[in-house]
Parts: sequence; C-alpha cells; structure tokens
Amino acid sequence: MANRTTGGRANMIKNRTILNPWILAAVLGVPATLPLLADDAADIAALKEQVQELDQKIRILERQHELEDQATTEKDATLPKITIGANGFTMSSADTNYSLSLHGVLQLDTRTFENDDHVPGSTGFILRRARPIMSGTVARDFDFMFVPDFGNAAPGATSSTPTPTIYDAYMNYRYTPELQLQAGKFKAPIGLEQLQADVNTSFNERSLVTDLVPNRDLGVMLHGDLLGGQVSYATGVFNGVGDGRNTSNYTYQDNREFDGRVFVLPFKKSTTPILQKLGVGLSGSWGQSSITNTLGLPNTTGGTLPGFTTDGQQQFFAYNPVRGSVVADDTHWRLSPQSYWYYGPASLMGEYVISDQGVHTANTVEAHQASLQNTAWEINGGWVLTGEDASYNGVTPKHDFDPRNGHWGAFQVVGRYAELNIDQAAFPYFSNPNLSASGAQSWAVGLNWFLNRNIRANASYSYTTFTGGNNGSATTPPGSVSDHPEQVFFTRLQLSF
Amino acid sequence: MKHPLNQIALMKTKLICGAVSVLLLVLATSGAFAKEIKLLNVSYDPTREFYTEYNAAFAKYWKAKTGDDVTVSQSHGGSGKQAQSVINGLPGDVVTLALAYDIDAIAQQGGLLPANWQQRLAHNSTPYTSTIVFLVRKGNPKHIQDWDDVVKPGTIVVTPNPKTSGGARWAYLAAYAYALDKNGQDDAQARAFITKLYKNVPVLDSGARGATTTFVEREIGDVLLTWENEAHLALKQFGADKYEIVTPSLSILAEPPVALLDKNARKHKTTEVAQAYLEYLYSDEGQNIAGRNYYRPRDPQVAAKFASQFPPLRLQTVDEVFGGWQKAQATHFADGGVFDQIFQPQ
Repeated sequence: MANRTTGGRANMIKNRTILNPWILAAVLGVPATLPLLADDAADIAALKEQVQELDQKIRILERQHELEDQATTEKDATLPKITIGANGFTMSSADTNYSLSLHGVLQLDTRTFENDDHVPGSTGFILRRARPIMSGTVARDFDFMFVPDFGNAAPGATSSTPTPTIYDAYMNYRYTPELQLQAGKFKAPIGLEQLQADVNTSFNERSLVTDLVPNRDLGVMLHGDLLGGQVSYATGVFNGVGDGRNTSNYTYQDNREFDGRVFVLPFKKSTTPILQKLGVGLSGSWGQSSITNTLGLPNTTGGTLPGFTTDGQQQFFAYNPVRGSVVADDTHWRLSPQSYWYYGPASLMGEYVISDQGVHTANTVEAHQASLQNTAWEINGGWVLTGEDASYNGVTPKHDFDPRNGHWGAFQVVGRYAELNIDQAAFPYFSNPNLSASGAQSWAVGLNWFLNRNIRANASYSYTTFTGGNNGSATTPPGSVSDHPEQVFFTRLQLSF
Repeated sequence: MKHPLNQIALMKTKLICGAVSVLLLVLATSGAFAKEIKLLNVSYDPTREFYTEYNAAFAKYWKAKTGDDVTVSQSHGGSGKQAQSVINGLPGDVVTLALAYDIDAIAQQGGLLPANWQQRLAHNSTPYTSTIVFLVRKGNPKHIQDWDDVVKPGTIVVTPNPKTSGGARWAYLAAYAYALDKNGQDDAQARAFITKLYKNVPVLDSGARGATTTFVEREIGDVLLTWENEAHLALKQFGADKYEIVTPSLSILAEPPVALLDKNARKHKTTEVAQAYLEYLYSDEGQNIAGRNYYRPRDPQVAAKFASQFPPLRLQTVDEVFGGWQKAQATHFADGGVFDQIFQPQ
C-alpha cells in the first residue's frame, strides 16, 4: 500500500514534468510569466525532495517492521516447543536435543467364557493395561523410554490387586539410524507378533505362538535399520527368560541369552506396490538356564507351576510331573521364521517358533533330563472394510468417528489360526498327561473398530481345542482347562495416545 | 553343585561374551565407522564469500596432504550473536569472528578455549585485517567525504546494531576515534559527535549483511558504514554504476580474529584438522584468497600485491585509542554504556 502511494505521487510529479513544455509553450509570448515558470520549477524540486523524503520514511518503516518480524521469528525459534495431538504430548527444546513425550494406554476388556464352571470369576471387566508412557531424548542422541503398568501388571496375573510393574525402562544411543545401542529392560527381539505394539495387535490377546517367545528381558542390544529401512537387525545379550515370561528387575544368576533377529522388506523400494510391504525375517536365541534360574521355564498363569496359556489366558499345560518338580536346565534355544504382508486394506502375518528347552527333574528319586522341543505357529489376516491401509502399526481411519457428519471411523475384520504342540517327551516325567494337554489349536475371528487414531473398540470370539489333557475330573488348571474346548468372547475399549 | 554340562556351557557363554565385547571394541576403534571429516566454522556476517573460496582451497590442500576428505560448513550472523550461539551450544570447531572480545566471551562464559587463545597464532590470531569505509550512492548526492558529512542533519546513515554486530562496533569506534582526534581527545565532544551520528540512523540491523540489504536492496539511506570488503562486494554484486566507496581520512584497524574451539574439536575428534584449517589462513594461498576478497593480508608480500585496491588512510587501533577491547566494550557497548545512553530508537 505504501509503495502504491509513493508510486502515485511519483507519477503525479512525472505527469507534471511532462506537462511543463506545454505550459512553457503556452506562455512563450508572455514575458511576464517567466517568474511564474521559475517558481514552478522550484516547486517541483521541492516536491521531488518531499516525495523522496516520504519515500525514505516509508521504506524505513517497512524495514523496521521487517526487522521486528525477523527478531520475533528468531526469538520464537529459541523457545521450547510444546506439541499436543493424536501422537501424545511432547515438549522439546528449541534445538530438539531435549524432549519429553507423554503417552498412555488404557485397555478395558471383558472376557466371557462358555462352560466356565472351572474358571472362577472368568466373566467380567478387566483393566488389561493402564500404562502411562514417558519417552524422550536427552543430549540429542540418547533416547529413553519408561513404561510402568498399573493394570493387569504382568501377563497372566490373576491377583485382584496386581503390583504395578515396570514393563520397559531403557535408554538408546543413536549413533546413526543404522547403528544404535539399547540397554535396559525391553522386548527381546524374537517374536513377530510379540514385537508388535500392544495397541496394534489384531486381537485382545496374542496367539499361542507368543507362548514360546520371550517377553521383556534385561540386556544390551545393538540394532538399526539399513538401506533406508529395507533391512532391520537386532542382536543382543540378555539375562534370558523363559517362554512368554517377563523378567524381574534384577536376577542374580550366571545365565546369559543371545538373541538376534533380521527382518527384510526386499521390495520396499520396488515400483510394484503389492510387494512393497512384504517382509520376511528370521530370529533366534541361544542361552543357558541353570537350576537357580526361577525364570527359566515358561510363564505361569492360573496354575501353580509354569506353563502355557490359551487365548483366554488360562493355563492348559504345566510342568507338573507325576512325581517331583521340574526346573529349567542346560541349553534353551529358539528359532522363528516369520513374515508379514500388507497391501491396501489386506493384511497377513505368520510365524513359526521352535523352542528347545533343557529341563530336568529335581528333588526326586527319579532323575530325568531332556531337551523338550515345543513348536507353535500361527497365521492371521485381516481386511479393512472401510478401505484404509492396514499396517503393522495399526489402522488410521480416513475419517474420524463423527456421526453428526456421517463418519464412523474404520472397521476391520480379522481372523487367526494358531497351534502349539508340546514335545511328547515331556510326558510323563516333566508333565502329567492326565492334567496337561500336549497341544492346543485355536481359531479366532474378530471385528476391530478404529474410531480415530486414539480410540479403538474390539470384539472377537476364540475357540480352542486341546490334544490330550484331563479327563474331566480336575478342578484347577491345567486339568480344568484342558478337559473341554475353550470358547471365549472378548471385547475391548482402548485409549492410546 | 552345578551340573558338569552346565559348567562347560557356562564357560562357553563367557567365552562368547568376551568375543562379542572384543569384536565391538575392535569395530569401535577401527576404521569400520570411518566417515568424512566435517568442520563447522562459526563466523560473522560478511565472510561468506571469503570462506566459501577458502574452504574449497583448504579441502584440496588437506586431501593432498592426508588423503582425507574434509567438508567445512559455515554459520554466519552478527559476531556478538554468533558468539552467544556458540556459548549456548552451537557446536563449532572453529570461530572466525569480527573482534577479539566476542571470542573472549566464549572463553569466559563457555569455557570452550583457554583465555590465552590469542597468543596461539601469529598476529594475535588475526590472519587478515580490514577497516570501516563508506558506501554511498552513485554520484555521492549528499557529498559525503568524511565523518563530518555523516553526522550532518538530514543524512540517513545505515549501520547495524553494535550490540549484536562486530562490524557495527568497529564503525562506532572508528567514528569515535575520528571525533577524539579532531577535538583534541575531548571525550565530551566525541560523545556529542557519536550522538549526532546515531540520530541519523533510523534502522538497526543485527548484522553487517542485513545492513547491506537495507542500503542496497531496500534503498534506504545515503551512506552505509561497512566493512571494506563488504563495500567492495556490494560494488561487485550490485554494480559499480550504482554505488561508490568513500574512504574517510581516519578509520579503525579492524582485526578479526580466529580461534580453535578446543572443547568442541576434542569432542568431534577434529582438533588436528581444525588447527590446520586456521593455520592455513596464514599460508600464501590463504593470504591471497583474503586479498582477493578485499581483506588486507598480513603477509607483506601478498599485501603489496593487493595494495592498489586499498586506498591509504590513517588507521588507529582499539588498543591505542580505547585501551583494548575489554575496556571499549565495558565503556561503550555494555548494558548502560555510552551507546545505550546516546541511542534513541526512532
């Protein structure tokens, strides 16, 4: 505007300058008019000077505004930033070298069992997870994560007053994306489904396969993404935990476990979209469990001895020999080929696990030792009915739930089949064949409703059958579980941010 | 008692642990993670062009000498602002600022280099010098020949803020030195002179490059008080048909210093190359690049080669007239100092 004003005035002067010869011509024959001409020229010069002064003043004002804006922008750039959104609450220093993010997960479940005579209190609401999550960065290259749980507290915990548990507590040094070192308590890099975030799994509970892989462990892990994310690797040294177990925060033992995993997206950069999200991987572990390792055997749920659980989190197998007790001993190794594929609304995930567990009987006149090779596999798939892309990191609705405007979020149907087979050598010296099942087969279907990026509702039905096991007289797990197929209807309301 | 098999396995485990540790150590200390050497030169505003040319020359020299590739990044801004950025964490390996006081501040407040840093390189760590001249519009319509013309009422003067710009502090001191010289070292008259000068300054940019933008691109003002090299650069970039350089009868000998930021360089493992980077400024090639970019080379032979581009004038030093930078800063530019007393924003 200022320039236009200046320009207008300048044009006026210019026009007046052009007109001057005409004025001059008109008055040529009139000598008396010469002083007038001189006055006019002086006026024009004065006006020019005034215009120039005004022009400078306007330019100065504009520049002052420009510098003020610049100073404000520079000042803003030095202020800490606060971001609040669907991804949580984040505070960071201006240079982003320091940041703190607050996230949270809340899962309110129901499990309704049919034929639940032997499952006390099996039907009702469960606060499955209640986790405030703190993560962030210090000194630019050091990340951290702290995740306690005030909900179910530990996988399979049945106490009505679970003790809050630290699930993840680790720091990670990022030298480059390709080379990172993580230390603390975190998920061991073995199971594909286990490594998927709790808020993104297809069903309320992970499949039977997850019975054979470690959960959180304590250790140090070198990891990174190579070739722009086409290859990811992780390898580390851990205390070692039994299948499906979480480590405690300290263990006094000499055991060590080496875990490693490589996962490749070979066509990530290809021009064929259908193959871009096809991933294949292989993971494995090798470790020693000495007899003092109380975490050496699988998870315990329901029963008093360690064992494996169903989709409904009931124990169908336990190391409960006819005589004596069982401890983990000698080598424990696992191997797990795994794969997933995502294309548009379609998803498919599968993995196979062999867990070879060294055990021996203790405190008994009959000493037995064996390496029990238990195996499990699963395949699960889904289809997003509303057309959004499915991914390992969940589904983001195109339109958030907003019934006033006819938007309902995203809906996904999911299905799964899984099996777990116990080594036959486990019976009868390490497990009582009249109580524990030697195998479980489970299928499940479900419907997931993603209202927005933060709220999700699930409903699913799971049916599990057993090979072997109890003949119907037991009243406690695993016998009470393995004596009839398990049928469970799950629901979940989930908040995550 | 442990099972014999367990003991063997335990030994195996320990051996593997040891082997993995050794492997990690070897990888970490070997050249497995070798990468290109990167340096950050934190500099003041008008050195962009000079260091762009110099960095390329140094990289070539270093490659030939060691076989290593070195990439030098530059950061520019008002000298005072840049010093503050380094104190606040800008991870420079070297600083090449407008005046020693700013590097002293980094030593004192940031602890990134020793207090005697200026003694570590020749000529008090100033490999080149410069001065303050006037850039006026073609034809010099306001007939500005010396400092007296700059303070005349109605003359619009463009110069940056001495609080943030090293060049502006040199310009302020040059004018002050002229006034003291003209008035028999009478400080009151010098202060009145500098007051009149800053009454003619309507806009304070934070750095020399910003002031050049104000004068050249925004077409504000009758005279720009600027670095000699910046004035020549303006002529070169924007046309000798639009501007003229006027050299006053007396000005200040500006000695822009350079220094290694020891702590940062140690952290980045760049001490050797950063030190060489500064020392190479004194080499024949470094001095020639300085001359080509209108800095006054220290080397007498190179200086003689470029003498024709620097008209003779009386140059006074800060030490001679103001008792050194620490005193000049405290008296004139510190909060509540002379500048704060005489300058009224318009």
